[in-house]
Amino acid sequence: MSTDQSKARVSVLERAGYRLLLDPTLGVQAMLVTICVVAAFSFPVFLTEVNLYNVVGSSIIVMLLALGMTVVLIARGIDLSVGAVMALCAAVTAEALLNGYPLTLAAPMALATGAAVGIANGLLITKLGLPDFIATLAMLGFASGILYIWTGGVPIIGYMVPEFYYVGGLTPLVGSVTVPMLIALVLALVLGGLLGWSRLGTHLFAVGSSEHSARQSGVAVHRVRILAYVISGLMAAVAGIVIAGRNTNVPADLGTGYEIQAIAAAVIGGASLGGGRGRILGAVLGALTLAVSINLINLLGVPSSYQKIVIGAILLLAVVANRLSEIVNAWARRRRLARAPVDHEADAPDLGPPTVPAESLKPTRKALR
Amino acid sequence: MAVPDAPDAMLVVEGVTKRYQGVTALLDVDLSVRPSEIHALLGGNGAGKSTLINVLAGVTAPDEGTITLDGERLEIRKPSDALAHGITTVHQELSLVPALTTLDNIFLGREMRSGPPGLKVKLDRKTMTKRVESLAAEFGLSRIDLQLPVGEFGALKKRVVEIVKALAFEPRLLILDEPTSGLEDDERHRLFEYMRALRDRDVSLIWVTHHLDELFGLADTATVFRDGQTVGSVPVSDTSTDDLVQRMFGIAASELSGTREDAAPERVTEPGAEVLRLSDVSQGTVLREVSLSVHRGEILGIAGLAGAGRTELARAIMGVDKISSGSVHLHGKRVQVRHSSGMYRRGLAMVPEDRKHLGILGDLSIAENISISNLRRVSRFGFVVNKGSEAARAEEYRKSMSIRTPDVHAKIRNLSGGNQQKVIVARCLNTDPSVLIFDEPTQGIDVSAKVEVHNLIRDFVAAGGAAIVIASEVAELIELSHRVLVMKKGRLVGEITGIPEALADNRYDEVEHRIVSLAAGRSVA
Repeated sequence: MSTDQSKARVSVLERAGYRLLLDPTLGVQAMLVTICVVAAFSFPVFLTEVNLYNVVGSSIIVMLLALGMTVVLIARGIDLSVGAVMALCAAVTAEALLNGYPLTLAAPMALATGAAVGIANGLLITKLGLPDFIATLAMLGFASGILYIWTGGVPIIGYMVPEFYYVGGLTPLVGSVTVPMLIALVLALVLGGLLGWSRLGTHLFAVGSSEHSARQSGVAVHRVRILAYVISGLMAAVAGIVIAGRNTNVPADLGTGYEIQAIAAAVIGGASLGGGRGRILGAVLGALTLAVSINLINLLGVPSSYQKIVIGAILLLAVVANRLSEIVNAWARRRRLARAPVDHEADAPDLGPPTVPAESLKPTRKALR
Repeated sequence: MAVPDAPDAMLVVEGVTKRYQGVTALLDVDLSVRPSEIHALLGGNGAGKSTLINVLAGVTAPDEGTITLDGERLEIRKPSDALAHGITTVHQELSLVPALTTLDNIFLGREMRSGPPGLKVKLDRKTMTKRVESLAAEFGLSRIDLQLPVGEFGALKKRVVEIVKALAFEPRLLILDEPTSGLEDDERHRLFEYMRALRDRDVSLIWVTHHLDELFGLADTATVFRDGQTVGSVPVSDTSTDDLVQRMFGIAASELSGTREDAAPERVTEPGAEVLRLSDVSQGTVLREVSLSVHRGEILGIAGLAGAGRTELARAIMGVDKISSGSVHLHGKRVQVRHSSGMYRRGLAMVPEDRKHLGILGDLSIAENISISNLRRVSRFGFVVNKGSEAARAEEYRKSMSIRTPDVHAKIRNLSGGNQQKVIVARCLNTDPSVLIFDEPTQGIDVSAKVEVHNLIRDFVAAGGAAIVIASEVAELIELSHRVLVMKKGRLVGEITGIPEALADNRYDEVEHRIVSLAAGRSVA
């Protein structure tokens, strides 16, 4: 038997299988391509440069939030406050600009606000031991409440300074490329690097996959979880700065519904609510999928009130697809392990004399699980 | 026998006490470990070994007591404190993260990083691989294994990763909690070699084991615990297995090992009516055309190597996994196996293999754990749970099965493994089963609890039940069973009948030989 060869092939396959498992972005890619193809054939206008840039541009806000959400989901958390925090940070930026501060000061103020909310979320969850869901839900109420009181329910307007048109993407930088696109690209690369090649990234996966094991290995679990929420808060702040520029006004209900879209994009991209799974590329593609779908129904002339149903349907589809890939993978793993003893025997046909000592049976507990 | 005063001791534990909600796990425990020695911790289940280890590893904080390492008083509040002082622990329950690769798991919390000075943020997986590669290879982990997520591995390989993880960082004090459970002979001996090599390099080892025969020639000192207290320390060269057993349980070893001779003759009974019959049951590729029957008053043993399909057979009978073909007959009537709850209703019950994950409901009380499978019995009008009668029933089981706990309202997670197992058996008995399936009933529990569990199985059968016992230890199967079926690659490959009679004729070795040969795939000459 060509043991070595078949072993090597199995391991390459195993790795490919693992990539598919932890990297369900393949499913999203398929979905995205399908929707694009359908749209392209049905509406020639879909493939025009203007429309494509429009779609990408419209996906940026959700994309930024989904990037932060992915980090939190990997650490087995969930951040329901991102929409409200985004709106609050948009208001901070707008008010700062209104009060004559330059953008270079207004933006850091917004980022500080986002980071502070992240720290608050993290502390509530780790130190007080509140469930992630509850703590961030409370923060959602808190942040949007502050915004209502602050603005009195009247949208903030008249804060646009010339350079802010760039930040909002209303004035493109080169050709149709806008600043928000570049911001999203850079931040996606940074977070991708963080997750794949940094200590914090490893620790995020560790905490999300098995908090107990992570703690026993000396991972500062609380710090890691707090940092996850800080990253999410910062991403919400960036999204807030961008949306303030894009919208040219900040109504108090600006962030409503964004948390659902962010979670949807992250989950479509393969993040699991059970923690330990999630990909940055997935979040990016997830946000694009949502944007393309919405674009398609707009082109179809479906009233925009149906958008929510479409988002819900796509989310369900993605979760079902993820679940299917898990089932298929578990099945494949069982098959592989079931084959293992057979292979083992073929590798070592000489088991020695028939009188195998009883001890040799004892330690061979189930490899099969 | 007091703990000897060791002025040269490296680790000194003094007066450590730990209580969990009414259960005293450790009481005024002392321990002193000399530099470069292998120090064995012995004791039955619930003796306090695991708790002491958790204290040293920073998993649990002691209520009282001090820990001194190299003359320096340590405050170990969390696992990273212990690691920072060079105290590394291989826990009995694995501390691996399934989503991370083997390499990332080994270096978890101690990652190596590269990058420009002051900006060392990038994980240096190349250097990490280089550093651990040869060590990993010695334990059979290839380079590719290092890049695979640990969640893909079986239990055995995970244990190996855990050990490599502990050895990779040159610990000052290495704590091994039952490190050999689940290891093959080869790996076990390689681990022992490593333990010796570490000792030669001035590392001290604390080693918890239930296998007393492993001690000799390896451990230097043994400290025995009983009921959360230190019984004493002895040099291993000055002692014997019998002596240690006596210290561990406070009774003579012969009383524990006497079961085989005592029990065998009286078990020679005629089997009763057929209770359960399987005809040509198959399930995918893991079970192939299995036919068997079990009778009242009979203990049927199932032997086989890992992966032979023993657990799968139990799960198929219980309806946990669907069978793809074949039929199951209970009391002569064919039944459709769909759900495990249906099989429980029909009088089957199973004590599952993985107690921690499949058996106990850790946060519920002992009483609740017993009644959970048959709540109707302790309920008024069929649905209002009567806490009083639940507790009373649990109290009966506590007495009849000598479950060691001050109170049936205590959480089951605070019990020792052996006592947890008794609770699980009580839960099954509480459903009045006609067939009871035991999958590895004595895995990870000590000698005395093992004897008690064996007796529970025998009592159940003597009262007219039928039992199926799955065990990896052939000796255990032979001791218990009237009849043993041997499985291999999902098939039944042999049957050995009349075991009690054979034992009465002193033909133990012959029976063992036949079972082992069948399981390993050799024809019996």
